Amino acid sequence: MPIDYQPILLPNPGRTTAVTLAEYEKRGGYVGLKNALEKTPDEVTGVVKDSGLKGRGGAGFPTGLKWSFVPKMPGPKYLVVNADESEPGTFKDRDIMEVEPHTLIEGVAIGSYAIGCELAFIYIRGEYTVAGDRLNAAIAECKKAGLLGQPSTLKKADGTPFVLDIIVFLGAGAYICGEETALIESLEGSRPMPRSRPPFPAVAGLYMRPTVVNNVETMANVPFILEKGVDAYKAIGNPPNNTGPKIFCLSGHVKKPGNYELPLGKITLRQFIEEYGGGTPSGLPVKGVLPAGVSAPIIHSSQLDAVMDYDGIKGAGSMLGSASFIVMDDSVDMAWASSRMVEFFRHESCGKCTPCREGTSWLEKTMLRIVDGKGKEADLDTLSFVCKQIAGNTLCALGDFATSSVVSSLKLYKDDYLVRIGKKSSSDRAAE
Amino acid sequence: MTLSVATVTAIHAEVARYPSKKTALLPALKLAQKERGWLSTETLGEVADLVGLPHSHAIELASFYAMLFTEKVAPVRVEFCIQLPCALVGAEAALDKTAKLLDVEMHGTHGTRHGHTKDHQIELHGTVECYGACHRAPMCRVGDDYVENLKTDDDLKKLVGDVKIRAQQAPKH
Repeated sequence: MPIDYQPILLPNPGRTTAVTLAEYEKRGGYVGLKNALEKTPDEVTGVVKDSGLKGRGGAGFPTGLKWSFVPKMPGPKYLVVNADESEPGTFKDRDIMEVEPHTLIEGVAIGSYAIGCELAFIYIRGEYTVAGDRLNAAIAECKKAGLLGQPSTLKKADGTPFVLDIIVFLGAGAYICGEETALIESLEGSRPMPRSRPPFPAVAGLYMRPTVVNNVETMANVPFILEKGVDAYKAIGNPPNNTGPKIFCLSGHVKKPGNYELPLGKITLRQFIEEYGGGTPSGLPVKGVLPAGVSAPIIHSSQLDAVMDYDGIKGAGSMLGSASFIVMDDSVDMAWASSRMVEFFRHESCGKCTPCREGTSWLEKTMLRIVDGKGKEADLDTLSFVCKQIAGNTLCALGDFATSSVVSSLKLYKDDYLVRIGKKSSSDRAAE
Repeated sequence: MTLSVATVTAIHAEVARYPSKKTALLPALKLAQKERGWLSTETLGEVADLVGLPHSHAIELASFYAMLFTEKVAPVRVEFCIQLPCALVGAEAALDKTAKLLDVEMHGTHGTRHGHTKDHQIELHGTVECYGACHRAPMCRVGDDYVENLKTDDDLKKLVGDVKIRAQQAPKH
């Protein structure tokens, strides 16, 4: 039985049009911003810290803590929303932006107030033109109502007007822009290649000014926290490490793919697939699940009782990441599946770090040789060796991500590789 | 040939919009491509001049991003996602059927496949890039538009019919 829960991020399941400002305000929209403006910026940061909200883009870094790193110095500070949603299997931020643009805008406004930002950016992947148009329309509504831009109808706790402008900026097709320093480079008009850190963006980010980069879903959580309070937020989820709601993307071999907003830590992966996803269309058992798009280790079917939160998925040998669950039934050859993921990372490597640039190319060539039936047993050792050379040796996480499916599939489904290289027959595998 | 007054005006507006003119380069390149269909060396130089940057900066960006084209492309591009979530629910079969319906001979293997109609009006691609529509798979992009839930032969026939109409209405390659 699906659990009893009233969604707050996507409260209109099935809706395809954007919620208007009037509709949003009718259900309590922008009350969170008004509450925030009655507090000092530090108090707002403190509330978000106390809520336990963690970044929903993948890394899971505590949001309030990130805001607190911004130094209190004069001059421009920037808040940048990472809406470069490009992880395969991930389509949650798209729904928020297309249907609930005001929730994101309100979150941006609250975050901007907390860090002292007067110009925020929403960096959207280039393909999401509908999301861009709808956000621009929602921003125009806010400007007309005096919530954004000038003159402002809102006053800060110190009595001065609250002034914020938001620019929607569309990228042009590059997965690497999901990495926060590459995104900043892209916004600055340079090739989007990750920066060495330190300095971290909180100190020297966009235009070398203090900058906070937060994911769309992260910012969409903020209005509720400021409207209803920390206790109400913490009542959702599984404190202390897993507070609040999470949008779980479900795709692949399920009858009912889609976005499902649920409290963290309240259901198991098996319940999610069977009760929400309707099980596999083929009726075949689940063979494995990718929980964070194609960037985290595959979860074996023996781990389907894992709880759906940061700790539960970690305990199952993987990571929650963007919570994008790709289900694969027993018909899937994991060597083939892994080859497709490796092709993605080879295509998307920005080329800056040699281990990633060369390594993903080696992985792709070796994988495709195996999938084409031309592989040898030594190729399996080559894959493991190359993965070791990439992991931990690159400026950003793309290199590590590229190795996840390879390492986990070799560990959990080695027979699929042995069949491909002719060391085992498919009937032997089936019999096992 | 110079860019139209409307495009030049829009590029100037972009330059004025951001704290740094360099930020305007990517939007400016997209505006130029919208008018020209692709970014020739001459167009890249023209855009760089309008933004006030060295030509090399424009080349650096144009040669990196998947949505910027430094070679001439067909006026109608159809791009099927064949990354894992889509591939698991029949995206590659949908791509093959679409190629057949459009009479396109496909080249390449695995996650990178491409072809075009004989008149070069339509390009068909299978790509490993995910477009964030895995819950409505199989899907493709036709230009900037998403066409989702391509589950049946009738869905694909309708797609191909619409694509052919676009190709007829588009400027000749």
